[in-house]
Amino acid sequence: MTTAGTSTLLRFMLRRERFRLPWWLLGVGFLVSYQSVGSQSLYNTPEKLAQLRATLGANAAVVAMSGPKDLLATIGGEVIFEIFSYAAVVVALMNMFLVGRHTRSDEETGRAELIRSARVGRHATLAAALSLAGLANLAVAVVTFAATAGTGLPVEGSLLVGIALGAVGMAFAALTAVFAQLFENPRGVYGAVGAALGAAFILRGIGDTTNGALSWISPIGWGHRTLPYVEDRWWPLLLPIAVSVLLAVAARTLLDRRDFAAGLLPSRPGPATASPALSSPYGLAWRLQRASLIGWAVGLFVLGAAYGSVGNTMEQYLKDNPEVANFFPGGATDIVNAFLAITMVFQALIAAAYGVSSALRARGEETAGRAEPVLATATSRRAWLSSHLSVALAGTAVVMLASGFGEGLAYGLTISDLSQIPRLMVVALVYLPAVWAIVAVAVLGFGWLPQAAATVAWIVFGFCVLVTVFSDVFDLPTWVQNASPFAYTPQAPFEAVTAAPLVVIAVVVVAFLGGGFVGFRRRDIG
Amino acid sequence: METAILVSGLKKNFGQTRALDGLDLTVARGEVHGFLGPNGSGKTTTIRVLLGLLRPDGGTARLLDGDPWADAVKLHRRLAYVPGDVTLWPNITGGEVIDLMGRLRGGLDRRRRDELLERFDLDPRKKARAYSKGNRQKVALVAALASDAELLLLDEPTAGLDPLMEAVFQQCIQEIRHEGRTVLLSSHILAEVEALCDRVSIIRLGRTVESGTLADLRHLTRTSISVETEQPITGIESLPGVHDAVLNSTHARFDVDTQHLDAVVRQLAGLGVRSLTSTPPTLEEMFLRHYGGAE
Repeated sequence: MTTAGTSTLLRFMLRRERFRLPWWLLGVGFLVSYQSVGSQSLYNTPEKLAQLRATLGANAAVVAMSGPKDLLATIGGEVIFEIFSYAAVVVALMNMFLVGRHTRSDEETGRAELIRSARVGRHATLAAALSLAGLANLAVAVVTFAATAGTGLPVEGSLLVGIALGAVGMAFAALTAVFAQLFENPRGVYGAVGAALGAAFILRGIGDTTNGALSWISPIGWGHRTLPYVEDRWWPLLLPIAVSVLLAVAARTLLDRRDFAAGLLPSRPGPATASPALSSPYGLAWRLQRASLIGWAVGLFVLGAAYGSVGNTMEQYLKDNPEVANFFPGGATDIVNAFLAITMVFQALIAAAYGVSSALRARGEETAGRAEPVLATATSRRAWLSSHLSVALAGTAVVMLASGFGEGLAYGLTISDLSQIPRLMVVALVYLPAVWAIVAVAVLGFGWLPQAAATVAWIVFGFCVLVTVFSDVFDLPTWVQNASPFAYTPQAPFEAVTAAPLVVIAVVVVAFLGGGFVGFRRRDIG
Repeated sequence: METAILVSGLKKNFGQTRALDGLDLTVARGEVHGFLGPNGSGKTTTIRVLLGLLRPDGGTARLLDGDPWADAVKLHRRLAYVPGDVTLWPNITGGEVIDLMGRLRGGLDRRRRDELLERFDLDPRKKARAYSKGNRQKVALVAALASDAELLLLDEPTAGLDPLMEAVFQQCIQEIRHEGRTVLLSSHILAEVEALCDRVSIIRLGRTVESGTLADLRHLTRTSISVETEQPITGIESLPGVHDAVLNSTHARFDVDTQHLDAVVRQLAGLGVRSLTSTPPTLEEMFLRHYGGAE
């Protein structure tokens, strides 16, 4: 039997996922319940909902980033309007990594060879991986149902949302299974699925702002079209289910046409000699990190554009919902700049996450044994660490500029004033010292406590997120709030920018970086 | 004798584990030196100290008349290194890695590089993720051999190679020896050691247990003798240097320390030797004895 061993493999896969999968589910649950509670407390009367329909529903940029305006008829629909696209992206990524990891990654590393040499059928790994995705999507449905019904939304609509989210996830799981037959390495698979996911998001964005036709070829659009809490239509779910089955059958057919560990698309050979760019540790670090830098920069450009596109509606929005003013520094005065400042802080935190992961690449290279051969050449430790660090520091600047550019472009277009682009790009740079301070902690840790560097850096990052985003929620003592570099950063463009605090942060950054280099020069490698 | 590597009393601890416990190693310029020992005996740790990647806890290490820790960058221009476990960047081709390593060391000989690619039958256009273990090993070997480094530090460089490639590797090392360059070769392949090495050092538990030419080492070991005589053999087992004797009237089998061989043969000669076979120690036996620490 070609599926012999499927159930054993499935149990083994569940065991391997036991620490990873719960975090994804927790993330989905948090995202949905947070939105549900927030929307229900903000728009708690029919009048407020009607105002929202008039302002947000009429804003093409908001509709493009959220969902069809038909959803804005009920409060439950409003929740779905705001969060479903993003929850669907999270669930799609979860499915992509889940299926990719257990099929193509395992084949590439050779783990699957060991399994296949046992009494395991040719189709067993694929069947088990898709079953695993099925179980994960069932869990997504349950978690989503709990997050919506549990926060007071109607039961039938909640059940529909849960199953719709799971069904969209399943379509992406099956799509990943198909691409896993085509490409020889996981990067190719993830790239193709990521592109399909991006296309799904954009198509429904265009569709929802026009006559809706394009939304019907996007799995995310199918989920929206069930119109939970508004019409509670079940039949659009047939689309993702049918597509999942078709793609699964296609994956199985393609699997029969290829050799183990091979892909149907031949892998392209690369250059036989290195270009002059690859002549120094800096060239190498850039080559290793450029793809991820481009990804983060594009991501923050899009996020900036999303924020910028709604900037101009803030004033009207605030008139309709005066209690929202509490969320902004300075209340209702100068609301646009306060909004821009808040979104900039948020994007700076995301840039810091990029910066930390980029700086920690140095540690990744070290533990993988790839630092050793480079340091055995005439490359000094200082040059080697500088190479990775320069990408991290310059990269965070690029990422911040991309977010400022996106926000300036979108906001500038809505108010017909393109001078917003340079203005908001400069504003973005005001947050750079604070971002670098978090990166510098990672470098200091790398120099002195290499084993703990990643943990320390991410804890510090999490702490900064906590005190910056949720300080009001948790009512933290002042000294705790003041431990974050963002506490000293002027909230541009809302607050006036003064040089003194930025210089102080920069001095701390230099001290931490210097300390990291001193530690790294004194310690063992490996 | 001018020395390329001079290590004495080297100590290195990793937490509670003692990796090197007073290791000595002397490598003369222009020699191919075999560096032998069981897994975990400290060979890789020694090489990492010599590369300035680890800081020793005691003893001294000199490399090409420099301090491997303080003068690391200066010394690395003059040496090439092949790690025991070659990991490469998955998305970079073998050819790119070879060029990069050469440039980082300070230039490489393009003609020699292409010739080595040919000899090792390596496709430089493949991404590193697609290489097998043996091919990754070849990438590191070509990168090191294409350099004009005066010292090569090779940590089990042929572990993943097939016999054909092993032969190519041995040829390359012979050429390097003729050019008067120095090689420190850590290896488990005894035929390779026998074919290439002028001298060897055997280490065990972080300490040097034996060092010298292969002939020296053989001399320190035992020869197996099987003999038949006209008169009954007596008293042979009590002669100095005789071990594991089995006597059966006019037949005897025993091992004898090579430096006592002469005395034993004289004694036997008086008994009228009918037949005698003497088997010199094999390298394997020699190493197993040192590795296992028997005796």
